[in-house]
Order: sequence, then structure tokens, then C-alpha cells
Amino acid sequence: MAVGRSSRSQPNEEASTALGLLLLIVIAFAVFSWTATGFASPYNLYTLTRTAGLNVLLGLAMMVVIATGGLDLSVGATGVASAMFAGYLMQDFRFQMVIAIVAALCFGGALGFCNGFVVVFARVHSFIVTLASMSIIFGAMIVLTKAESVRDLPASFLALGKIRWFGYLSPMLIVSVAIGALIAIMLRWTDLGREILASGASSRAATLSGVRVGSRIITVHALSGMLAAAAGVMLSIRNGAMVPSMAGNLGQEWLLPAFLAPVLGGTLLSGGRAWVLTTVLAALLVTELTSGMLLMAIGEFWVQFALGSVLLLAVLLEKGRSTLMGTGEGI
Amino acid sequence: MTLALELQGIVKSFPGVIALNGVSLAVERGSIHALIGENGAGKSTLIKIITGVHRANEGTIKVDDRIVHFVNPRAASREGIGVVHQERNLIPRFSIAENIVLDRIAAKTFAPINYREINRLGEQWLRRLELDLDVRRPVSSLTAAQAQMVEIARALSLQSKVLVLDEPTASLTSHEAEALFRVLRQLRDQGVAILLVSHKLEEIESLCDCVTVLRDGRNATSSGPLAGYDRAALVRAMVGRDFALEQAARIGFTSTASNSVPALELDGVSTSLGHRDISLSVARGEIVGLYGLVGAGRTELAKSIIGLHPIVSGELRVHGRAVRIGDVNSAVHRYSLGYVSEDRKAEGVILMHSVLANAGITIWARLRGALRLLSDSRILSNVDPLLRRLDVKAASRHAAVRNLSGGNQQKVSIAKWLAAGVEILIIDEPSVGIDIRTKAYLHQLIMNLADQGTAILLISSDLPEMVALADRILLMKDFRLVSEIANDKDYTKISADIMSRIQAVAFD
Repeated sequence: MAVGRSSRSQPNEEASTALGLLLLIVIAFAVFSWTATGFASPYNLYTLTRTAGLNVLLGLAMMVVIATGGLDLSVGATGVASAMFAGYLMQDFRFQMVIAIVAALCFGGALGFCNGFVVVFARVHSFIVTLASMSIIFGAMIVLTKAESVRDLPASFLALGKIRWFGYLSPMLIVSVAIGALIAIMLRWTDLGREILASGASSRAATLSGVRVGSRIITVHALSGMLAAAAGVMLSIRNGAMVPSMAGNLGQEWLLPAFLAPVLGGTLLSGGRAWVLTTVLAALLVTELTSGMLLMAIGEFWVQFALGSVLLLAVLLEKGRSTLMGTGEGI
Repeated sequence: MTLALELQGIVKSFPGVIALNGVSLAVERGSIHALIGENGAGKSTLIKIITGVHRANEGTIKVDDRIVHFVNPRAASREGIGVVHQERNLIPRFSIAENIVLDRIAAKTFAPINYREINRLGEQWLRRLELDLDVRRPVSSLTAAQAQMVEIARALSLQSKVLVLDEPTASLTSHEAEALFRVLRQLRDQGVAILLVSHKLEEIESLCDCVTVLRDGRNATSSGPLAGYDRAALVRAMVGRDFALEQAARIGFTSTASNSVPALELDGVSTSLGHRDISLSVARGEIVGLYGLVGAGRTELAKSIIGLHPIVSGELRVHGRAVRIGDVNSAVHRYSLGYVSEDRKAEGVILMHSVLANAGITIWARLRGALRLLSDSRILSNVDPLLRRLDVKAASRHAAVRNLSGGNQQKVSIAKWLAAGVEILIIDEPSVGIDIRTKAYLHQLIMNLADQGTAILLISSDLPEMVALADRILLMKDFRLVSEIANDKDYTKISADIMSRIQAVAFD
């Protein structure tokens, strides 16, 4: 039955979501400029773009796993543990900054690889596996670091946190957007990305077409761990130190932004569809909303309340949209 | 004769397409009425309107000469419309009786469940269908055919005056289908009106009293007695023009070099799924059929060959070389082996992805460039000629496969193996739920593939299809091969031969 064959093509569906998010970003900007004193000040914009850089990475870390129909609750624990690892390499072993950062990314990737390995070979849903690894990684990190921060860092590392372009732009956002562009290319224009999306859309059909679904699931978990590590390093640069509690207990403070960006960005929780551009825009919107509401001094808990509501609303809207339309183009 | 069900001027549109445009249907009490048409003609939509799944934009529905409005499926079943969908809708771990009286179990919220009453009711309906089954058995232990009968019992237990069956024989062997038909005739004689959707003209001719043909969302014929049509007339009504029903018979495969090495060979193979001592061979350019009852283990054997399930003993040889295939990836890329799944929607295609993504999936790894980069245009230039050759009808190459008709989905699921250029292809139930025109086309395609040297192992429960295509037919029962028949394309003789052999084995 040729039900609802629309003439829209897939990039347009992504574009319309992007346009909607862009519109919301502009509206929110106008509203906050008017209601929240100091929102549009260069300094606030600078901190905003700095936080956005972090949130973009978190969103991408979650997005790549959601693309296969899984999720990663250990992003916070992995990110902080990897940053601590880089900190110790620099503080106690006097590693060069670049080498320490690369080592941290590899460390995060390795932790993610372990997540993926257990998911595939024990055939357990990533929810349980990463819930466990979140506690294990965070617990081990606290024991090994004795919950002490790393503050004796090279000057070059600390200098990174002070870079500020045009007075209002943090290079952290640019770095994150560049990483996002690489992931977009990977998903859209490599066989690896196509196989990741195929595995997420229908693991049975993908398997029977010769896709190694298990190794694709391990790939996205390793990638997620790497992105989380990058986020951990980024936050450490901002703080000028590696602090074990910088993502909250068990790294849980990162979970809400990590889920908000891909979900608002139209990534299907069941897998098979992931858009980088909209995930990046959604991370920007979330950062903007958080910053604006905090400036309006409506209280941290109300901000949490509002963001939680946005997440629920976004999920319900997507559900409603797919039920009503029942169509859409292929990926 | 009075009308049990009458539809007039039904219009139903979905965003962007008018599925039904003024369709009428009249089903008499105590008759078996065939609803036929090609894929996309509007049969499924009409069934959904009759059973309350969709609501029509225009038109009236009358049950027993009363105008009714179905707001949901429950409303339809209250008016005595029972339906047996193509897919099974039973709860596997529940017993037969529980499944039959399910609605009434839930009716009283806090009352304790009276199992003796449930079993008594269940038994009553099974007896009416002359089914000799223990009503306490879980549905998961039944064969496909038995499960189907349980669904019919459930539909009848709702005091159905109209019984709608959507392709009831799609997963049944002809033997099982005959048993079903006997029951349907009995029901008709008891006054039930039966509306049957089917693609199989043979069974319609032998079973039905009346017919309605749909084409492109309209009535190609109004409801009337089947006696007025011969098969050619029905086909003409469905297709809209004369259409050669007789397909080109396959020119018998002659093993030109009979001593040449088979492309695929199983030697005393046992699998972890329970196959024992399976030996078979398929030569280049040969079509070997694998026939058996549902549950005989044919699909499971196919999946074991392509590396999804382990082979525990015996030898698998590809082009004469003993191989161990660890996963589907190496089956496809190292041994050039492909599998067209019987479960098109779950395994054959990725419904939410585009035609392009589905057709190209097997060649991504081969086409990728430096840094694994791979553009759409590169894939398109490889698969587009195939999609054209297969005449895949879609809004664009980027349209989601979900929006294609069943026949076009099947073409896409085959296209990816043509793209991969596999030398050995296992095809599992290629024409389930596919209209005659696409089916004839697929048959031609399969024969052409064989002529070009592909070794084909064909699994089918459709006996005419099997006889038309296969060079040799292997019979499978209970995960063993029991017999081999050389196919001389004489349908009457071969089908009788197969049936007698399957029954002979059954009484062993």
C-alpha cells in the first residue's frame, strides 16, 4: 500500500528540524537579552560558548551510541576518569600536554571498548552494562585518586583555558563543532557510519546483509568513551584542574545534557537515525536556556525541572509526530 | 440471500495519496467471497476499514442492512466482524483456551479467573473446527497452521457473522491449506459470511463463490458470482490488460560437465539447531528446491549455511573447498554467498532506511575509498542499473523502503545480492504476499540468475512455484532430508508424488 508517499527527501527532514532549533535559539536569545541582565554581555557569551563546547561533546558521545539503539550512562564517569588519568600523567610523570591528552582519549576509548565488548558478548542491554560500569569506573577512580584534585599542571595546559576570541567566543565550541563535523562525515560518508546506522535500524537485517553488527556496537561505545574523555579534558582546561567531582557524583550531572542534545536533535532512541547538525544546535539551545535561566536567578532546581520537562516533551513530540505522519523518507 | 456486509462508496485518503476511491463491496451470508487485486490495489486498506482499524473519509458500511460506524476494532468485533490477520496475533506463552477467550478474561476486572470455564469454552470452539488439540497447551508449541486455526476459533468465538481472512494460506503448505478450506466450507454452510484475501487464483477458484476485484483503489469489478469469470478474466481485471499467465517454463538444467565441482555442497552436516546428517549439493546454474512443511527446518538450515548458527559436524564445501563460515560477513564477502530472507520486513530489508541504503549495503565495504570514505553517487552508480532492471517503483532512490509495496520491497531485498554479485544464493519464500505480476517477474529473474551461472537453493511452500522453478526438489522433514525428486515440470504428477512422500514419512 503506497501510504503517504511524500516527495520530501531525507536531508529536508533534518533541515526542517535544524531550522526549528535555530529559530528557538534566536527567540530564546531575544527573550533572554531582554529579561536577563547581562545575558548578551561579551563575558556571558564567552562562558556560554565554553559550556556549549562541553555540551556538544556530551551530546555527540550519547548520540553515537543511541544511533545503534543503545545508550551510555557511563559518559560522566568515563570522562572524569580519563581527565584524571591525563592529570596524573602530567603532574606525577611530567608527560607533555599533547601526549597526556591523547593518552586520555585512548583511555576513554578503552573504557568504552570494554562497555561495548560486554554488551555484545554477554548480550546484555547497554543500559545495565553502562549503569554497572558507571559505578565501577567512578568508584575505582575515587579509590585511586583518594578523591584529590590534580592541580600541578603545565603552564601550557592552563593557558588553554584562557584563550578567548573576539572577546566573546571560546575556542572550545569551535573544537567541538569540528569534532562534530568529523562525526557527521563518518556517519554520512563512510561505510563505517552507514553500517552503524544500519545496525541500529535493524540489527537482524544488517546481520543478514553481512554487517558485523557486534563490532559496530563496540565501535560506537569506544567512540563514545573517547568523546567523553575529550569532554573531561575540556572541563579540566576550563577549571584549571582535574577535580573528581567535576561531573557530580558518578558523573550523573552530565547525563541530562548528554541525552537532551540528541533527543532534541531528532535522533531516534530506537536507533537507525542520527543527525549531527541538529544535535549540535540542540546542545547550543540547551546551554543557552540553562545560562539564561540561571541569570534570571530562578534557581538551580527550577532549571533542572525545566530541562527535564523539555526532555520529556521532546520525546513525546517525536512519538506523536511519527504516529501522526507514519511516513518520512529513508536514511 | 441477504447481505451480511455491504460497503458503498468508500473513500479513504492518506497524506499524499488516495488509497480507496469509491469502493463498494457486498458479501452475502453463507458465502465465501474473494477479494483480489495486485499489491497496492487497496485490499489491505479496505480490510482495515471493515475491521475498524481505519475510518473511511466517505461511504457507508452496513452490517445486516444496518448502517454502522466503527470507531475502533472493538466496535467492529461487537458487530460480529471477526478477522484473522496475515501475521499471528496470539500470545505465545498463553494456552490455546486462554487465547480463544482472551477478551472475556479481561472483561471482569477483579473476579478470579475460572479456568475450568475458559477451557470448556475453548474446547467447544476447537471441536467446532474439528481440531484435536489439548486446550491447555501453550500456543508457542503449535505449528503455524495450528496457530492459524486457533485464531479462526477465536474470531468465531466472538459470534462472528463475517469472518475476514487476510492471506490465510501464505505460510501453509497445500496439505494444511486443504484442511483449512474444509473448515471454511463448513462455516459457510452454517451461514457465516467469509471474506478471503488471496493472491493464489487456484485456491480462489476451488473455494470461493463470489469475487470482488480491486485495481488502483477502485472496483475493477463489482461484487458478483465467481462463476462468471475464468482465470484469464480475473487476471485481466486485476492487471487491467491481458497478461500472460503461463510463465516461460525453465529450460531444464543440464549439468553440462556433470563431473564439475558443485558450487555449494553439504556432506553429513549437523547443526546446533538440530539438523542431522544433511547432504546436498547445488551446481553452478542449478536451482535446487527445498520443500517441506512449516517447521521442517528449512529456514534454519539456510541460516546455518550462511554462518548464523554453528555447524557442529559434517563438512560444508564451497566450490569444492571445505570451509567453516563463522559469520554472515565472511559468507558474503569471502565465499560469495547470499540469503534472501522469508521475513522480508524484519530481515530482508531495513524498513526505515532508503532504497539506496538497502540495495547498497552488501557493497559498501567493497566500494569504499581512502579513509573508508564512500559517497552516495558511488553507490548509486553501482545499484541504479540493477534497480532499473528490476523495475523497482519508489518515489525516489532516497524513499524509505517502508513506503514501498511488498513486491517492490522484495525486489530491493534481492537487489542487494545482485549488487554483491553472489555466486550462491539461498532464496527463502520469495513470493509470499506478492501479486501475480511481480511474482511472475521474480520467477523470471530467478531463472535468469541461474542461467547466468548462479547456484540457487530455493526454499518455498508454494508448490506450483517450486515445480515451475526447481531442477531437483529435496524434501525436508523434522530437520532431516528425507527424499529427492527430479522435477520434470509435470505439476500434477510431481505434486502428487511430493504429497505421498511427505505422508509416507509422516507414518513412519
